[in-house]
Amino acid sequence: MRHIQQMLERQVYIADAGIATALYLSMALGKPLLVEGPAGVGKTEIAKALANALDTKLIRLQCYEGLDATTALYEWNYPKQLLHLKLEESSPASEAEKEAAIFGEAFLLKRPLLQAITEHDRAPVLLIDEIDRSDEEFEAFLLEVLSDFQVTIPEIGTIKATHRPHVVLTSNRSRDLSDALRRRCLYHWIDYPSLDKELEIVRAKVPAIDKVLSQRLTRVMQATRTMGLSKIPGVAETLDWANALVALQATELNDEIMAETIGCFLKDEADIATFKSAQIATD
Amino acid sequence: MEIESVVTFCRALRERGLSVTPAEVVTAATVLQVIDTSDRDEVFLSLRSVLTTSVDDFPVFEELFETFWNRSPRKLVERDSGTTLRARNISQAKGLAFFLEHWSASVRAGAEPVKVPGASDTDSRAQKDFTDFSHEELEQISQLARRIVKRLASKPSRRWQPVARGHRVNLRRSLRLSLKTGGELIDLAYRRRRAKRTKLVVICDVSGSMDMYSRLLLQFVYGLQNSFAKVESFVFATTLSRITGELKNKTYRRALDRLASNVQGWSGGTRIGASLANFNAQWLRRIDKRTVIIILSDGWDTGEPKQLTHALSKLKERAGRVVWLNPLLGNSTYQPLTRGMQAALPFINVFAPAHDLASLRALEPHLVL
Repeated sequence: MRHIQQMLERQVYIADAGIATALYLSMALGKPLLVEGPAGVGKTEIAKALANALDTKLIRLQCYEGLDATTALYEWNYPKQLLHLKLEESSPASEAEKEAAIFGEAFLLKRPLLQAITEHDRAPVLLIDEIDRSDEEFEAFLLEVLSDFQVTIPEIGTIKATHRPHVVLTSNRSRDLSDALRRRCLYHWIDYPSLDKELEIVRAKVPAIDKVLSQRLTRVMQATRTMGLSKIPGVAETLDWANALVALQATELNDEIMAETIGCFLKDEADIATFKSAQIATD
Repeated sequence: MEIESVVTFCRALRERGLSVTPAEVVTAATVLQVIDTSDRDEVFLSLRSVLTTSVDDFPVFEELFETFWNRSPRKLVERDSGTTLRARNISQAKGLAFFLEHWSASVRAGAEPVKVPGASDTDSRAQKDFTDFSHEELEQISQLARRIVKRLASKPSRRWQPVARGHRVNLRRSLRLSLKTGGELIDLAYRRRRAKRTKLVVICDVSGSMDMYSRLLLQFVYGLQNSFAKVESFVFATTLSRITGELKNKTYRRALDRLASNVQGWSGGTRIGASLANFNAQWLRRIDKRTVIIILSDGWDTGEPKQLTHALSKLKERAGRVVWLNPLLGNSTYQPLTRGMQAALPFINVFAPAHDLASLRALEPHLVL
């Protein structure tokens, strides 16, 4: 378990014991890991860091409303099939042979889920991002794939995973996931990081930043999250801001610099107003 | 660490409302074989990721784990058979009902939720204080509203619409496209069923007698408003005001602030008939058969019943459906005997309760035309 933590740290991902444990168990038990938490706390990063650490492929399935099996699993390459038939029109092959030819693997468009199952070399990391944005029907379909890691294509037959992929699901809790899916997965919750952890993250990801500045910046971010804004900035925003400050060669957070860079972490006009009035109040 | 203690622990969790299935108990036992069971944190984190399914479960888990780890299985069993704990748990599980009780108690101490003061003509300009509202309750209501809206928007119509990607081939377009390639079908065009667009008009009573429900219902209206473009919302006590604009705000708090400062006569008396007549005069033109009208009111009217009858009959004529939600209907002894309610009943398609989350949930099928 410490091993995993170190492995992730080498990927410049600051993991705590909770994440390391969850990942370890997910690999040891072969169960998918469901990661929940507010936006921008690095849920997606977990999968990326894991793939890098294991030196394996990351296959990502971004969920959205209306995502269906054809876009997630497989599809027949219809124009290619058609052209193939056209070319073979004068060949002596029988109709059955032609049909067998166009329903071969060469005409199959593999979408992320099928890709993850048919990966030959080693088990890939399959990231199913923002599962809460997909429809309930898709969730049910996913459940089926995740339980046996096999897919049946009527024309070809059943394809079974050669290596069980490491599955990471993320959710922003924009809707309730089904109990069945939750039960099938290990669960981990990532919250906004503490001051120390955030500071550690900033220093690791933006090494060029000034020590004092990074401290001030994280403190401002921590305070910002308690202001009751409509879009609470995550760690991603902190890093954007830190990078912006480095690019501007800023050494302190004065009013001018703040005005120039506030757009890095506050993306809503009303929020900016709230932030400014709160700042005046503390000054 | 013995298997028995894990099983006891899982049972204790189940008693406290976590859904721990036998499969998870097995997983938990397996987990203990692959980790260092002498490390408290490791056991804690591992079991937590197996036995919880949501961050909401964490507090209960943490509490019980403490007992579990300190190895007093007897104490654990004692605790989960204790009635006080269970009673507290049940009242927590009730959620909204529990909250409503508390809220009404804080608003008017000792009052029974169903004993509602009679409607009156006093036009109070009192500003409502919206601050003490449980965040979780609000979130649940908005989630429900979003779900309903999603269902409203996803009802397929009989008409087709061309789309870039889909399952059904649009033959006409495909043939047309094939002319480009000399009559060879290369690119396919697709079509799908157009989504049926139901429009919603919500008219919410915010008079004194509705006080304890209106905040809750407004949250619901807010949720509807912000996830669905075609919702018009109004509130009335003695006069009608349109609040569609006020509710279109990013946070509920901000929307409420604007409401409290812009809407007059909050918590005053009720004149349903006059308010609906007012609505008809200005908005009836916009109502068609694809519109569902939702009226949230307890039917305590101080105006003439005739006026209400007249206004409602006109409304019903034009609208696809008229739904009247009466929070008092949640009480089994309630009879819609008030003059206002009696006058309204013949013109209502659906007469349903709206006093808690469950009743709002039951509303879902009625809203789909």
